[in-house]
Amino acid sequence: MLSYFCKLGLKMKIHCFSQKMFCTSALSPLPLPSRMETHLWYVLPNEVKSQSLLSQYVDLLPPPEKDHVFSMRGDELQKSALLARALVRTTISRYQIYSRVSPRSLVFKKNAHGKPEVIWEQSDDWHPPQLHFNLSHTSSLIACGVTVGSPIGIDVEEKERTLKNNILSFAKRYFSCEELEVLSAISDPEVQRHKFIKLWTLKEAYVKALGIGFSGAPFNTFTIRFGGANPNPEVLDSAIAVVPLEKPTNLTTNWQFKQLELADSHYAAICRQNDGLLGGESMKVIVRKTIPLVEEHCVPRIDSIVRVDELT
Amino acid sequence: MASITGSSSLMASLSCNKLTQTLTRAYNFNVVSVAVSGKSFPSLKLSSAPSRFRVSCAATPETVDKVCSIVRKQLALPEDSAVTGESKFASLGADSLDTVEIVMGLEEEFGISVEEESAQTIATVQDAADLIEKLISKN
Repeated sequence: MLSYFCKLGLKMKIHCFSQKMFCTSALSPLPLPSRMETHLWYVLPNEVKSQSLLSQYVDLLPPPEKDHVFSMRGDELQKSALLARALVRTTISRYQIYSRVSPRSLVFKKNAHGKPEVIWEQSDDWHPPQLHFNLSHTSSLIACGVTVGSPIGIDVEEKERTLKNNILSFAKRYFSCEELEVLSAISDPEVQRHKFIKLWTLKEAYVKALGIGFSGAPFNTFTIRFGGANPNPEVLDSAIAVVPLEKPTNLTTNWQFKQLELADSHYAAICRQNDGLLGGESMKVIVRKTIPLVEEHCVPRIDSIVRVDELT
Repeated sequence: MASITGSSSLMASLSCNKLTQTLTRAYNFNVVSVAVSGKSFPSLKLSSAPSRFRVSCAATPETVDKVCSIVRKQLALPEDSAVTGESKFASLGADSLDTVEIVMGLEEEFGISVEEESAQTIATVQDAADLIEKLISKN
């Protein structure tokens, strides 16, 4: 049955990277993503219960990061902060970068707007990789996106997240007019709320990719528009584009977006540069679910809903 | 931080530096001077903007209380949880969407408009209260 699907592979766009889920030792090296790929790693805090494992994560951190983790209010927030640091350190170390890079040895800094970056060791005989990463977390899922040769921004939100404010009031205050119209046109409150969350994650992913954040790019200065020239309603994220609204603008548009569902519980958005290599094709994303230092599973993704008549 | 001291919870046992705990606890309870009795602790960084250690006269206690109450409501914190001027939104568990919702709540409560560009300058309850007073006095 599986080989039948693989024959239709391109047409149906099901990404399966092997015929079995594979479990590897978490520290064995992986090739860096190609320039056309984006890797997305995620961990579910509920699945990390071992005290000795959490201690190992603490051991990976330099003192300032430990202080930051323990400055969070309460066990759950501390665990989440700890997992985020463990995820980013172990993930970056997984790639075949340089034999001396280990989770503990990585050094991070923040850019002028607070976006974290790696400071690579400088030496005459080694050129650091053009690896970019971005983190996002909710209390129930922490994700890290990795690219080569392109800045990246990601954002994750729980699908069931509710706003304390009224959605349309919030959108009127913070989103663009076009986005407010899109939301206002949705009569079912649940569908409207889901659309809001998707929009929020896409906008966040964009400003994080730019590296300037919400303050650098207020959300009402650009619109996220769904559906390009040939919108395909079967695909979750057909032709998402960003449209700056002010002239002149410091907002660039050569970005591509991907919207995903993770673990059946979260919406994720990825934003990375569009350098024309994909030729109009949808972003290629490899998703891996992981427990840092322990295991990982490549998560097959279904990009489009398969119509029954395509199977005959 | 009340849940940390004296309990045998998973995270409590990992927080091995008791001094960090004590300082962090003091930090969360609005102590502006750190008593270090002539010793220096170079490896301990209560990393924050300098304003955290400045006694701020800008915002009234009433403003700070209102901000605390809006923050509690947004983050669904219990009534007895310690939220004070020194409390950092991020440490209380606010993500970016929570922070924007909090700012929207403050705009409605105080009748002000907070530019998105200012959002990054607000890290603590005190920062928010000071900004509110500044914007009110401009109106």
